[in-house]
Amino acid sequence: MSEKSARQASISTENQTGGLTIIKIGGSWRIDQPLPSLNFKGDQVKIVSDGLEDFDSALPSWIHHNFKNVRELDLSELPKRLQSLVRLAEKNTQWKSEDEKPNLLENFGVWGIESYSSWGRAMDHIGQTSTGLFRTLIGRSKVNWSDFTLQLQTAGVDALPIVALLGFLTGLIMAYVGLIQLRQVGATVYVANLVALAMTREMGALMTGIIACGRTSTSFASQLGSMNVSQESDALRALGINPVEYLAVPRILAVTLMVPLLSLFATFVGIFGGMIVACAGDLSIDQYLNQAIKAITFKSFLVGFIKSFFFAFIAAWAGCYRGYVAQRSALGVGDAATSAAVLGITLIVIADAIFAVIFNLYNF
Amino acid sequence: MDVTTPILKCAKLCVGYGDVSVMKDISFTLERGKILAIVGPSGCGKSTLMRVLGGLDEPMSGSCELLGVDLSQADSRAREATLRQSGFLFQGSALFSSLTLRENIEMPMREFLKISSSQIRQLAEYKLACVGLSDAIDKLPSEISGGMAKRAGIARAMALDPEILFLDEPSAGLDPLTSERLDDLILKVRESFNTSIVLVSHEVPSILHTADYCVYLDSDTLTMGAYAPPKDFLDPKSHAKAHSFFSRVVTPK
Ligand SMILES: Nc1ncnc2c1ncn2[C@@H]1O[C@H](COP(=O)(O)OP(=O)(O)OP(=O)(O)O)[C@@H](O)[C@H]1O
Ligand SMILES: [Mg+2]
Repeated sequence: MSEKSARQASISTENQTGGLTIIKIGGSWRIDQPLPSLNFKGDQVKIVSDGLEDFDSALPSWIHHNFKNVRELDLSELPKRLQSLVRLAEKNTQWKSEDEKPNLLENFGVWGIESYSSWGRAMDHIGQTSTGLFRTLIGRSKVNWSDFTLQLQTAGVDALPIVALLGFLTGLIMAYVGLIQLRQVGATVYVANLVALAMTREMGALMTGIIACGRTSTSFASQLGSMNVSQESDALRALGINPVEYLAVPRILAVTLMVPLLSLFATFVGIFGGMIVACAGDLSIDQYLNQAIKAITFKSFLVGFIKSFFFAFIAAWAGCYRGYVAQRSALGVGDAATSAAVLGITLIVIADAIFAVIFNLYNF
Repeated sequence: MDVTTPILKCAKLCVGYGDVSVMKDISFTLERGKILAIVGPSGCGKSTLMRVLGGLDEPMSGSCELLGVDLSQADSRAREATLRQSGFLFQGSALFSSLTLRENIEMPMREFLKISSSQIRQLAEYKLACVGLSDAIDKLPSEISGGMAKRAGIARAMALDPEILFLDEPSAGLDPLTSERLDDLILKVRESFNTSIVLVSHEVPSILHTADYCVYLDSDTLTMGAYAPPKDFLDPKSHAKAHSFFSRVVTPK
């Protein structure tokens, strides 16, 4: 406030016989100015004013910081206002909460328990989701059906453009790579087999699964996470509604319904993308289509469909789970979104590998 | 600023959202170093009025001067300088959820004071000790109780040694003893820093204990019902609704 040229904050120390240290403070102490530093040892201190001009909370905070562990602190010669400010910060028994810092070993233990319990929570969430789905099947659950229709729209229909673009490009890229190799053996016509088979069995499901992780899992995690922050999920629980059932079940149902359809769509668009490349170079449209239809069987469609069904479930579940266990803070919601996408994509790729082995074993 | 300028001055102030006015005809003047309580039934517009007084929202009409500056007319630099002189505790505490209590309090200091970080640390520790939170200094807002969050919010509002503090329901949800300690804290802050304080409260004993003046907002007429020292409302000849508000809690039926 006052802009008058104030003297800088100053201190001087005086050691007296009998272990008493006298500290003289002077000048003007303001929170926007640097304060003198103090190197001091002793447990008996008297602070006196020596030309102390004005001060704000800088001075009491300085005293609090430097002398809070001193056994005997004598402030009796300081202004009353300053004394009461220092006393304000003294440990008060009326509102205390004891808390001790954990050591390294404890931290390690806590980490162990937490990572164990995070598996437990994941299993618990899977369990709750399955019972929720089951109860929905037999019509005994409380489910927010308006969420279901909304998610059909946002997780399904709204994803059409991006699924179309990525599916198209995947087919196109595969056709390019395939053509270069097949030309060497003069079998360019098989590029249609390559693209059609890869899209139906593998890429259609995988691409849509990954898109679902990026779009849908993250959005579920942040929706449910912020409901955690604002205690909305607690409010549901207080009403006797299981939040997993109420929130996760409609989302998972909507996604597992829509993503396989999207995957089918991606497959066709991918085959079309491959056709553009193939027909621009070596094949005619007729040749390509004939060859493609010969290549795909009902079985390969079924493989792609089963996979995308599971991938959809994984993506939706990862989002709901991560949102459900999110920390109650803005940061926690962000973390939940990130880890939902990571968890979803990782699980989808692992599941894909498992499917590859299983389908190979049973010659599917 | 001149020491004699009133810290807060409203004339025919009308507050609201969009085109809907919530409360109108508010006129009062608050001198430096005084404590003003805003009371009234729930939903009558106390928080809204407080936001306008503190310069967070624009008034619909009328004028409101904080520290001698009309915030709705002032240019952005004068506005910011004035806002920096005031501290705000929100009804929901509004601590930054991803920062620890210490970081919450250091944040405004880091933004506005050009001093070393050790000095900032020591200021933050002192402010948290003042509200009795020395032991929870490294906790996140999600790890403390509602009452502790209120106190941390007060410490953050006090971070820059403001001229005026706005406290929206500081003692709501606190037990009577803690709430009493909080009243003492408010009085001590006023006494030591000569800070003016505007607070919203529903607790009559606490208002009688702390406040110098009291604004009663009337939810039926949507105007300011009365402006007087809170003791005056104990008199049956005073403003009828304000009196019933005050006497209802003091004299049990
Ligand atoms: N963002 C907003 N937009 C529109 N109207 C609002 C908004 N916030 C509050 N209101 C309305 O303004 C009125 C006053 O609200 P306000 O929050 O100021 O009440 P209050 O007196 O603080 O109540 P309480 O004691 O419950 O905190 C209410 O009728 C409310 O519906
Ligand atoms: Mg309010």
